[in-house]
Amino acid sequence: MQQAIESVFAELVLGPPRSRRDLLALCQKHGVDADDTAALAESYERLSVYRELTRGNLREALQLSIPRSIARLGALFDEYFDRFLVEQAPRSHYLRDVTPELLMFCAPLWEKDPRVASYLHDLALHESLHIEVSALPSLPRGHVPAALSLKQGVDLSLALRLVPYRHAVHELAADEADRSVPTERAVSLLVYRSPEHEVRYLELTPLARGIVERLLLGDSLGNAVQGAASAAGSALSEAVLGGAAKLLADLAERGVVRGPRGSVENAQDVQNAKNAQEAPANRPPS
Amino acid sequence: MSEPESSVSSPRPLGGVGLGLRWDFLEEVVDGPELPIDFFEVSPENYMRRGGYYPEQLERLQGRYPLVTHGLTLSIGAVDEPDTDYLRELRTEIQRTKSPFHSDHLCFSSAGQRSLHELLPLQQSRENLRRVADRARRMSDILGVPFALENITYYVHPGRAELPELDFLEGVLEASGAGLLLDVNNVYVNSLNHGFDPRAFIAALDLRRVVEIHVAGHSRRASGLVLDTHGAPVADPVLELLGFTLERSGPCPVLLERDNDVPELAELVREVHALRQIYDTSQRKYHAAGD
Repeated sequence: MQQAIESVFAELVLGPPRSRRDLLALCQKHGVDADDTAALAESYERLSVYRELTRGNLREALQLSIPRSIARLGALFDEYFDRFLVEQAPRSHYLRDVTPELLMFCAPLWEKDPRVASYLHDLALHESLHIEVSALPSLPRGHVPAALSLKQGVDLSLALRLVPYRHAVHELAADEADRSVPTERAVSLLVYRSPEHEVRYLELTPLARGIVERLLLGDSLGNAVQGAASAAGSALSEAVLGGAAKLLADLAERGVVRGPRGSVENAQDVQNAKNAQEAPANRPPS
Repeated sequence: MSEPESSVSSPRPLGGVGLGLRWDFLEEVVDGPELPIDFFEVSPENYMRRGGYYPEQLERLQGRYPLVTHGLTLSIGAVDEPDTDYLRELRTEIQRTKSPFHSDHLCFSSAGQRSLHELLPLQQSRENLRRVADRARRMSDILGVPFALENITYYVHPGRAELPELDFLEGVLEASGAGLLLDVNNVYVNSLNHGFDPRAFIAALDLRRVVEIHVAGHSRRASGLVLDTHGAPVADPVLELLGFTLERSGPCPVLLERDNDVPELAELVREVHALRQIYDTSQRKYHAAGD
């Protein structure tokens, strides 16, 4: 019977408001027996409290995470929030995962919906990354940086995300009331957590993005620079090499570059941190 | 009243009065002067599988105060077995905080793959009693520390109740050997919403099982329904019920929960102080009764 009760409660709390008749139909659909159905129907008014509480918890987590996107979407947000709860629903144990779960669900739908501004997904992702990156697992501290080598890969901080936007949403004002429209242009943004736990942003050139992307994939520094230059249609010139050196020095200053691959002292800690990062949707709390 | 001789596993490694740790005042607690608070309770889900500022602060806090973990999303009553990844991560977090025991709620909060993020009431049935007790029995081994269940607030009983709440709760604890995290505010709120005598309920419990007591604030709606909001100071009748409980349970850690409309830390410290006075008075009565 617990199975049937769970199904009824899930539909009640995640779905639209239900009448007493709807409740009876739900009970029948999920095989709740007649006596239990009658008992539930008697408590109909109070059952609605659970819908209010559940949705309130989820809505609050989203409001904390993507307030500007919610403000810009207005009533449309509630429409998609409702659809998400009914068609997908949160899956993770962690309330902080609700935002990425919602965005993953909405991305293809917003793409096709002319009522949703074309930059909206970029903005929501940008907002949600603040909490996501603030919570990403860290590499162990106490690492002593060593000189990088072209033949080796580079260990980067795990607390980062490299994201492409189609709009410069990172340039928008933080004000929730702001309704200015971001410039439409391709942006590569490195979102990272500083050693002081501040979430920071660095817009990368196509060449810089190519290098970081390749380093994240495990390429040696030499291959990463060569591959990025080639992809950007540049020869491996002094200027490119100089630019790469500056980029790496800047990233080291920011705590993003930690040293040559494998130089981190506790390999098991690194693996644990990476495993945690690869775990399905896990992000910021309430 | 004498110290009961008990074969029931009831670890009470903590004592005194603690406070639920909230991020609203985390920094103040970690960096400020030592507070007259005996321990802090943490929601492990807020620190598990993540890095950054908060886990680091928690590690610092651990050097200053004892910590105890109180989970939110085990969903021990759901049909599906608890998620093994979650349990593994939870065990790691419990080890990290050196929590002497771990507790979660006697409820369900998931339905299949869906996480509902709310504490939902279990039907008080023999089938549920057996399933929950079987899991709770295994939980200590899985988590590496003693395990306790908290009685929840419920606004509706889902369907017919084969058993009264007291029998269901005691049955699960008896069959599993789990401890009881007795939420006195929940007993009080349930007594108002379902019409029973909270003192009689507590007097009928086997208080030897109690490993910790929770108190919190609640609010009443226009409809008359009383909600367990954790958003107000502890109400006087709950404080009286706490004294009543402690006079019978003997020394047992008490925790103040405040999750909504969280006031300044100083105000919470004053509330903790008031709870300590109740604690001390009731312990004098408990020991006097045993003389």
